[in-house]
Amino acid sequence: MNTNKKFSAGDAVIYLILGVWALTTIYPIFWVVMNSFKAKNEILSNSFAIPTGDLFTLANYRTAFDRLNIFSAYRNSMIISCTVAAVVIVLAGMASFALVRYDFKLKKSLNSLVVAGMMFPVFSTIIPVFRMLSSWHLVNTESLALSLISVALPQIAGNLSFAIVVLTGYIRSLPIELEESAFLEGCSPLQIFSKIIVPLAKPSFATVAIFSFLWSYNDLFTQMFLLRLPQHRAITRLLNELTSNEGTNFGLMAASVSLVIIPVLIVYIFLQKYIIKGMTAGAVKG
Amino acid sequence: MGANIYKNKKPLFLFLVPAFAFMAIFLYYPFIQNILNSFKQIPELGAMDKGWNDPWYTNYVTMFQDENMRMALRNTLIMMVVTIIGQVGIAILLALLVDNIRVGAKFFRTVYFFPIVISATALGLMFNLIFLYDKGMVNQLLESLGRTELIDWKGENLALITMMLPVMWQYVGFYFVILITGLNNISGELYEAAAIDGATRLQRVRYISIPMLHNVMCTCVILGVTGALKVFDLPWTMFPKGIPLGETWLTGTYMYYQTFNTKNIDYSSAIAVLIVVLGIITAKVVNAIFKEKDY
Amino acid sequence: MKKRTLALLMAGAMTASVFTGCSKQATPDPTTAATTEAAKDSEAATTEAPKTEAPTEEAKKVALNVSTTFAGEDGNAGNYQDAIKAWQAETGNTVNDSSAVSDETVKARITSDFQMGSEPDVLFYFSGADANSFIEAGKVMSIDDIRKEYPDYASNMNDDLIAPSLVDNKKYAVPVNGFWEAMFVNTEVLEAAGVDMPGADYTWEQFLADCEKIKEAGYSPIAAALGNIPHYWWEFGIFNHGTPENHCTIPESVEDERGQAWVAGINDVKDLYERGYFPKNTLSATDDDTFLMFVEGKAAFLIDGSWKVGGIAGACQSDPNDAATLDADKLNNFSVTYVPGMNDRKATDLVGGLSMGYYITKKAWDDPDKREAAVNFVEYMTSDEVVPVFAQHTASALKAAPKVDESKFNSLQVKAMEMMSGVTSLTPAVQDIFNGECRTSTFDGMPQIVTGKVATEDAVKEGLEIYHAN
Repeated sequence: MNTNKKFSAGDAVIYLILGVWALTTIYPIFWVVMNSFKAKNEILSNSFAIPTGDLFTLANYRTAFDRLNIFSAYRNSMIISCTVAAVVIVLAGMASFALVRYDFKLKKSLNSLVVAGMMFPVFSTIIPVFRMLSSWHLVNTESLALSLISVALPQIAGNLSFAIVVLTGYIRSLPIELEESAFLEGCSPLQIFSKIIVPLAKPSFATVAIFSFLWSYNDLFTQMFLLRLPQHRAITRLLNELTSNEGTNFGLMAASVSLVIIPVLIVYIFLQKYIIKGMTAGAVKG
Repeated sequence: MGANIYKNKKPLFLFLVPAFAFMAIFLYYPFIQNILNSFKQIPELGAMDKGWNDPWYTNYVTMFQDENMRMALRNTLIMMVVTIIGQVGIAILLALLVDNIRVGAKFFRTVYFFPIVISATALGLMFNLIFLYDKGMVNQLLESLGRTELIDWKGENLALITMMLPVMWQYVGFYFVILITGLNNISGELYEAAAIDGATRLQRVRYISIPMLHNVMCTCVILGVTGALKVFDLPWTMFPKGIPLGETWLTGTYMYYQTFNTKNIDYSSAIAVLIVVLGIITAKVVNAIFKEKDY
Repeated sequence: MKKRTLALLMAGAMTASVFTGCSKQATPDPTTAATTEAAKDSEAATTEAPKTEAPTEEAKKVALNVSTTFAGEDGNAGNYQDAIKAWQAETGNTVNDSSAVSDETVKARITSDFQMGSEPDVLFYFSGADANSFIEAGKVMSIDDIRKEYPDYASNMNDDLIAPSLVDNKKYAVPVNGFWEAMFVNTEVLEAAGVDMPGADYTWEQFLADCEKIKEAGYSPIAAALGNIPHYWWEFGIFNHGTPENHCTIPESVEDERGQAWVAGINDVKDLYERGYFPKNTLSATDDDTFLMFVEGKAAFLIDGSWKVGGIAGACQSDPNDAATLDADKLNNFSVTYVPGMNDRKATDLVGGLSMGYYITKKAWDDPDKREAAVNFVEYMTSDEVVPVFAQHTASALKAAPKVDESKFNSLQVKAMEMMSGVTSLTPAVQDIFNGECRTSTFDGMPQIVTGKVATEDAVKEGLEIYHAN
């Protein structure tokens, strides 16, 4: 993108600003991981020191791995959150396309409904949702699959609004000329969606998928309500067991947070490549 | 021309029904229950109601007399302004800068995302330790610079700032990711053409990036102002129950408090209704200001 | 156009799968959804039958659904896991354990469970106001009803110590371990300030004098976050203007004798605040912040519950889950004593009791297979052998409590045992009855009260009006 070859004073200022902000975002991760190697009594008094020598301990991780079946919880989390992300981008993508490109009477009201859907606090919708799921025998069941579905369903609905708001923003910016030429070639709206819109907006779909995944993954409240048996628990719910009481065992908490975020960071870094790939693919030739 | 393609409205249903069916079942139906609940008497979360309030709109009257609610609305309004200026503004700046560098763009893209990944409870704890009165990171730092008196960052005078800074910081990464994706969606050829025409870097940003980002920025502002209405976890971890002296209530934290601490479920349902109504109104206002553009 | 039809087919297949996917998941049976509301009440009754699908004679091996609060960092989580393992081995039954740390989310879940008929068979839960909804709905069995068939049920318990339900005064929950609230002391701070360790005859005047000395020595006398957790000071402030007999009586109005006692009690807290005995940031700190001050030797006194014995020991361990890593010297700086008394309350009259216990649900009782197993499970978990393991230094309701092996205890646990042996009475916390919205004006309103923004009298009045309106 940049055609200037030499490193200018402007570049230096840019890197300085970016670097300072990067420090503020890296440090917290570093802080959490660092403190996960300290005992809880040391964290409060020594939270900003590097864990070396006597300060260093693996006790927090030992406890987590001893007491809990972390790997099956990862699996459960991945199943739930990947399902949520996949269903959300498919459904939200279709709905956003229709909301941007079509003109119809209810469009304004539907748009308001979408915004409203983002605002509903989960605390106020959980009880009716729980009752519905319960009457369909999806909660309190011994079946792992049903338990996981019971969490995924409300999470899908909860992420759809956000996904639609973001995707309509992107799709609206896409040049309509490509769609017109496809139409002249005889493509149906469905084909236009799957062959033009989806490839063009790939990076945006990836972004929405990442956030849906992340919120589903971190959504402790829904998991608390719907996942009962220890073997059904997803990772956030499981690790919360370790740390919820009194909330003062900061070492364990830091270890739990590290265990939760590391897979997410890996997934993100992996998807990063995909976004950049999507970017080059997005620059469709004529 | 575009209208021609999409004149036939039949496929519309195919596109819209699945998503809206999901939301109808798991969001709108429960929320209608919530609206009804706001007129009833409900002793605790999950309990059966004890009949209608007398008069049925009691909670909505209470809301206008409730001093904490007024404080929550005031703070939320401030939060909205902070969100637009602080979060979206900084995110735009960072996104444009990252878009304009050759080396390290990928690195910045990755690390700016970090704050969103860490759970708010962990961040809350960290900020609690940073702003701890006796003696967190900031006060230790000030002491080493020669300050003798400890500053109570969570005290009455500074509480609001101490609460909003971390929230602002946390969400910059979120808008950054959305904006940078928007920038990626802009065809590189546009820049190349502009460069050939002799446009400077600044001109390219001004005449290509910003106009092309218009819709995405509008999205970000909508997400920002509506997000301010429901932001909850980080403020709650740092300032539970509106400490000190109810100075730090936000609509999101106050709704949670009424649900789980005072167990005034019907009142909290009424607050939820207010949050949603305000959300729709602010989104409409933002849309009207930005005037969506189709390309 | 070949390409076109192919694409159409693909698109068709995609949307079709989306639709079936959706209908499969979201609405497994539209009729169920439509009739949910009507069927809700009857469902609890009808689902019981199909659940016991195979009531064959030899099917004695039962899977029992159990939910407790022994989870996470609860000191008894490990003991509980050991106990259910032993019970499963002994009986051949299995336990589906959905224990979770009791927070507000879990409480709401349990309430909802009872309504939807998906409650567990055995539940270890609060016996106070939190149990009201399912006791009112008749969803759990009272101990007396169970004794009609199993006369020995909970016979090793002293019935007088089992808390009756607030709904009908019947007894439902068989208790295991109790709790107490007392005053923890950082003796290092006391020494530095030249204050003697308080004892059984500690009076409020002595306490005030000691606080003054500690303050002058540059420490915070009391570790408490009045803006976050004023609960303990609220409770003892009021207790100091009452007696163990009348402490749990909620005033009719702010004007009557008890009402004035409440006002006086809360004013004592205000007095402490005005004298500057709480930390400077007591209104803006969280409870964790002030606990840290106490542990780090910046504050002298901390009123808290028996669970903090473990909390303080944990703060002195480098591995919080390994008692072997305890820094015994550091722990020796902590002690626990009685709460300064005034008027008719002796310092040794503490707040405490048995606030939780095992319930058997009606659902399990009506299930011929599960009844036996559920009773057996509760009897096992509340036996003379198991209870002391859970109770340790807290109270239990056992008639013949066996001697506890003190050799495994750390110094603070031993001090707690000694302190408990001198207790003259344990009274339940009145705040467990005075629950929910009515608390707001004096609990969350405490900062407004101590800073004089709201008159104590008005705050108490407001709370009592809400209490009596419900």
